[in-house]
Amino acid sequence: MDFLNDFGVKPVLLAAQAVNFFILLFILKKFLYKPILGMLEKRKGVIAESMKNAEEIEKKLQKISEEREEALRKAGKEAEEVIKEATQAAGQIINEAHVKAGEDIKKMIAKSEEAMKREREKLHQEVREEISNLVVLAMQKVTGKVIYGKDQKDLIDKSIKEL
Amino acid sequence: MEITLIAEQLGRVGPLPITNTMLVSWMVTAVLAVFALLVGRNLKLVPAGMQNFAEFIIEAVYQMTEDIAQSRAKVFFPYLMTFFLFIITANWLGLLPGFGTIGVNEIHEGKEVFVPFFRSINSDLNMTLSLALISVILTHIFAVKYLGILDYLKRWVSLNPIFLFVGILEIVSEFTKVVSLSFRLFGNIFAGEIVLSTMAAIFAFVLPLPFYFLETIVGFVQAAVFMMLTLVFMSLLSEKHTE
Repeated sequence: MDFLNDFGVKPVLLAAQAVNFFILLFILKKFLYKPILGMLEKRKGVIAESMKNAEEIEKKLQKISEEREEALRKAGKEAEEVIKEATQAAGQIINEAHVKAGEDIKKMIAKSEEAMKREREKLHQEVREEISNLVVLAMQKVTGKVIYGKDQKDLIDKSIKEL
Repeated sequence: MEITLIAEQLGRVGPLPITNTMLVSWMVTAVLAVFALLVGRNLKLVPAGMQNFAEFIIEAVYQMTEDIAQSRAKVFFPYLMTFFLFIITANWLGLLPGFGTIGVNEIHEGKEVFVPFFRSINSDLNMTLSLALISVILTHIFAVKYLGILDYLKRWVSLNPIFLFVGILEIVSEFTKVVSLSFRLFGNIFAGEIVLSTMAAIFAFVLPLPFYFLETIVGFVQAAVFMMLTLVFMSLLSEKHTE
């Protein structure tokens, strides 16, 4: 081990350097390696998480847009149905109204016809009576006698027939 | 200017001689500690400036450790990272002006010698040998930790004569590790110092510049090599043997 002397190796210097090294190791480990490795790990976690979040957000967005489209489609369909129903109902109501109006009109026409018929009948009767009276009166004037009973009746009928 | 193999002694605290490399070693420790405190104190989720830089280095080394050592990365990493940071800071700090040039002349053994205040740490075998010893001893501690004491001993001692011989070779190779780790680092940096001072002695302006670039690269490469070898030794020795 003589050559070590030539290089000036002394155990105490070796030990001093070793102590120095371990002090440095302790300081660096505590203040540099641990915090930085921790920070790297933490950053990795944060990045992974934010990427996962971004993915989730995108997924959610897609889902929302899909849902919106679905809702729009559904609403459109519903609106169409409502309009269809309304149109149908309106048509029905109009039809019903038409039918009813037609019936009413028919009824009214029938009623008025009947009334007119009755009126005419009455008029006929009245006219007939009037005429018979007139005939009777004229006969009286012509014959100069009052005709009663069977003669009167025959006469009236006869004159009416001739009218 | 003359560069000696032995680091110059500046003073003495009790039994501990304060060499100029020891002084610089404390400076490196201080620089790294201040950096750690500055960066580590207020880390933010969105990094900026120094934090980016620190994260870049730490993540790169951690990734490499994990690739090679897998689940043991968490345990190995602080040591490897500290080796790397300490060696690279020391090497680059040693390139600063003032290293090897500022000092005093002292009478030593009747001769006047120049004693620089600062000297690149790894141009002193004490420092590199110390790091190498720490590296190898840690390797064995981890091996015992991960394999258990019995499996660890089985690596070196066996009843089978062939494996016994292999075990002996392995023991020799463990000592080789210490020598190779320490002398590689020491040799590279010491040679760099000599080259730089020689060039500066020939012509002090511009001429040494390319060699400074070279030494910057060497400083990084040596730090990386030391760290990676330690990583490989650690993960190899603590790997479960499958026979």
